[in-house]
Formats: sequence, structure tokens, C-alpha cells
Amino acid sequence: MRHRVLSVAMLMCLLAAHVRATVLVPADLAELSRDAQIIARGQVVAIDARWSDGHRAIETVVTLEAERVLKGEVGRRVQFRVPGGVMGRYRNIVMGAPQFAVGQRVIVFLGASGPQVPFVLGFSQGVYRLGVTSSGDVLVSPPPIMPGVTGPIVRGAVTRQPAPLADFERSVRALAGDGR
Amino acid sequence: MTRRPSATRRGWSVLLSLALVMTVSSPAFAYLKFGFQLDGKEFTLRWSRSPVMYFVSDVDVPGVSVSQFQGAVAVAFTTWESVPSASIAYTFGGFTRGLPGENDGRTTLGFMNAPELDRVLASTSYLVDGDTGELLESDIFFNSAFAWSTAQAGERGRWDVESIALHEIGHLSGLGHSAIGETELLSGGGRRVQSIGSVMFPIALGSGDISGRRLMPDDIAGISDLYPEAGFNDTTGSVSGRITKNGAGVFGAHIVAFDLRGGELVGNFSLGHDGQFSIAGLRPGPHALRIEPIDDADTDSFFDDTEPPDVNFRTTVFERLVIVPRGGDSGAVQIAVQPK
Repeated sequence: MRHRVLSVAMLMCLLAAHVRATVLVPADLAELSRDAQIIARGQVVAIDARWSDGHRAIETVVTLEAERVLKGEVGRRVQFRVPGGVMGRYRNIVMGAPQFAVGQRVIVFLGASGPQVPFVLGFSQGVYRLGVTSSGDVLVSPPPIMPGVTGPIVRGAVTRQPAPLADFERSVRALAGDGR
Repeated sequence: MTRRPSATRRGWSVLLSLALVMTVSSPAFAYLKFGFQLDGKEFTLRWSRSPVMYFVSDVDVPGVSVSQFQGAVAVAFTTWESVPSASIAYTFGGFTRGLPGENDGRTTLGFMNAPELDRVLASTSYLVDGDTGELLESDIFFNSAFAWSTAQAGERGRWDVESIALHEIGHLSGLGHSAIGETELLSGGGRRVQSIGSVMFPIALGSGDISGRRLMPDDIAGISDLYPEAGFNDTTGSVSGRITKNGAGVFGAHIVAFDLRGGELVGNFSLGHDGQFSIAGLRPGPHALRIEPIDDADTDSFFDDTEPPDVNFRTTVFERLVIVPRGGDSGAVQIAVQPK
């Protein structure tokens, strides 16, 4: 047992990057809107990594200053967690997991399991990022997979454009059903 | 859910015909080596020793016993190590009470419950020596929240262990996701995979589907590029160049090389803001190149970067064929794309 503890400690000292990659079950905007317990738009104001799973892994708690809550009952600050993060010299990169930076504006679709901090639905599928054009329009990317459209998704098609924020939020509220 | 691997090839044929007639260009697919940065240094994840020893967690789930699970993943490991142009090998070390994700120095595969990963079938993690970049351990967790099967012909409503293991073992070996795949939206709602050109495509084919048990040219080029057998680099070649839009480099463009003689699709991305790209492991001879934006995906599946890739350009087929030399590179190819 002592030997095992020492081995683990030694390995933890060597840990620098802990990367994950995934196979996903796809989700469209309707599913995300329906399944999310919280949908919020806001700006990332804090990113704090911590140990999880009995010190076996690292996760990051992201704090969002909410500009608008599209679904759910939450306060002005919304917190959610994503796998991976940086703890001192230890870096846990999770491929396929969404990454955030302070100052970013995003719309997140969150799920919850018991009393724990909410998580992003569908791994990276539950995050949309906001950008501002030179003319000041706010756009949502990636281009959302909208319900009601059928057939193959063609890369590079001129219709595959980031969505205007107002249009996107109107769709999400309609799909979520209980939006406000 | 169905998979039609030939669809992409048909699409290529149509596009290629157009390219040849119009002297415009054609499409492509991609493998991506998994790299990361530590203290400003670039590392490519790969095993420095072979065979890679792996263990299997002593955990059953309904429908799949531990021994059935071990048998299915063993077949998937064998599929990867059977690639003749790659030198990597794996060996089964035994069953363990350890679980995937534990940093115990053992590469472990097994079932776990992770309700917060609601749409994640399986996930691979790595333990890396931060000083040297050496890969010490890689674990694969299979989400026990889903229904699984190891049935020879697959099982309706259950995910195929061997297919998912094949994808994850690609990651375990150092490969990232490939963007060679097409999806479609269903009339009743939802999205599904229409065709794939790589088992490293990040979206699952569907429960009951077993067609992901077979490696494709993009996967073979990737694993061979990471672990080349003697002579591989002398008998294959590469394409490199730069993607630009309005004179500036394009980050995150997906470039696919189409082998005109064999029909193989192999691809990669422009991974810097200068728009530079390189695709290695190609069979010598003429190739058509297609450049497309990843505007149909959550790009976090492909890029470890909070700055999103450029998706505001039209799919472009390069106007001339590129000759891949044996044991060499095509020479820098300059390709301009147009905004949407």
C-alpha cells in the first residue's frame, strides 16, 4: 500500500497534462434547449481550477456574470464546471471539452446532477460564443444547428453563418418552452 | 442509424469532375496528431515505448461482462497494431480494481458512471511527464450510463464496445479528432452521421452500428505518421502550403487530400494563424485538395484554443492537382479562399 501511495505521489509530481478526447452523441438546438435546466448569456468573470474525484482529476469552475437568463432560476452570477484545468504545475487538458477565458461572452446550456455545480450539456455542444462585427452586430457561433431544417449539413455553404443574437435567443426561448 | 462511407467519395467524385472540367478544385479529409504546449514547448503525444501495456477494470455493466469487454477492446487494439506501415503494439496486462482516470501509472480501460458527461460515450485521458513530455499513462473510460454491447453483429439500441474502443484507442495512441465526416439533420428532429472517412470523427455513428470497427486511410496515415515503420517516410510523401483569405492566413481551415488513383482521403488543418498546413503519409502521385470551413461543428472538438477558427469562407477546390513525391514534399502550395 505504501509503495502504491508513493507511486501515485511520484506520478502526480510528473503530471503536467491530462488530456481527454471523446465520442459524442450529437445534439441539436432543440434538444439542448429542452434538456437544459439553465440557459444563460453572459461574460466570463472568473475561472478557478480545483481537484475533483477524490484528488484524481482536475476540473474548472467557470463564473459567468449573467446578462440574460433564457431558462431556469439563477442569480446574477452563474457557475458551472468543465473537466480539465490548471493546478499549479499540473495541467489537465480535456480535448473536446469547452474552454473559456475571462472576458469572453457566451451562451451556455447547463445541466445539473444533484447539489453539485451545474455542468455544460453535451460537453462542448452546449456552448455558443458571441462576437461583435465591425458594424457592431452581435453574432452567435458556431452557426447553430437549427430545428426545422433537414438534410445534409454542407460545409462552406453561404447559409452556414453565425446567427444574429436576437434571432438566436428568440429561437432558444421558443424551443425551451418555459423561457422568460 | 446508417453509415454510408461511399457518400463522401461520391461527393469527391462529383466535385473532382467539376474541378477537372472547370479547372477549379476539389475536397479532402483529415487526421490530426494530438499535440499540446508546456512552458512554451510544443509536444506531440506519442508513446516512446512499445508494446503499450493496458489493463481492464473489473467492472461489469448490464449486457457486457468484464471478459466480453476485454475481448472487444483486445480486437480493437489488434486492429490498430495490424496497420503494416505503423510500428506501435499493445499488450494486455490483466484485470485490475483500478478505474480509468486514476493516476496510478497503469493504462486502464473500463466502465464508469459519469452523469455530468451526458452525451459522452467514452473519453480518453493522458498522464504526461511535464518535464519531458513523455506519455506515461492513458486511460479510457466508457460511460456506463449508456447501454453497451459486444454482439458480433451489433445490437439494436446498444453502443458497440469495439467501435467506440477503436476510436478511443486512436486517441490513446496520440491521434486527435478527424473532421472527415458528414452529418445530416433529420426531419423528426435530431442530427446523425451520414458518412465518415475516419474512425476518429468525433460524433458517434449510432447505437447498434458496427461499421466503425474498420480503420480508414485517414486513420492509417495518422498512426503511420506517428509510429512509422522503417521505410514509411521514404515510400510516402506530403503536401504542405498555406491557406489565405484576403491575403491573410486562415486558422482552422480543413484541408483534405484526395488520391486520384486510389480514392483515399487524408486531411489535416491549418493550425496556425499564418494559415500553414501539412498533410503527411500520402501515397505518391497526383492529389486534389479541398479546403473547407468547420462551420458544422463545435470546434472545441478539434482545437485546444479559446479563439475560434475562421469559418467564414466558402469551400474551395484547389485549381490544380498537386503531385506528391516519393519521400518528399509537394513544395509550398498557396491556396486562396473567398469569404462567404
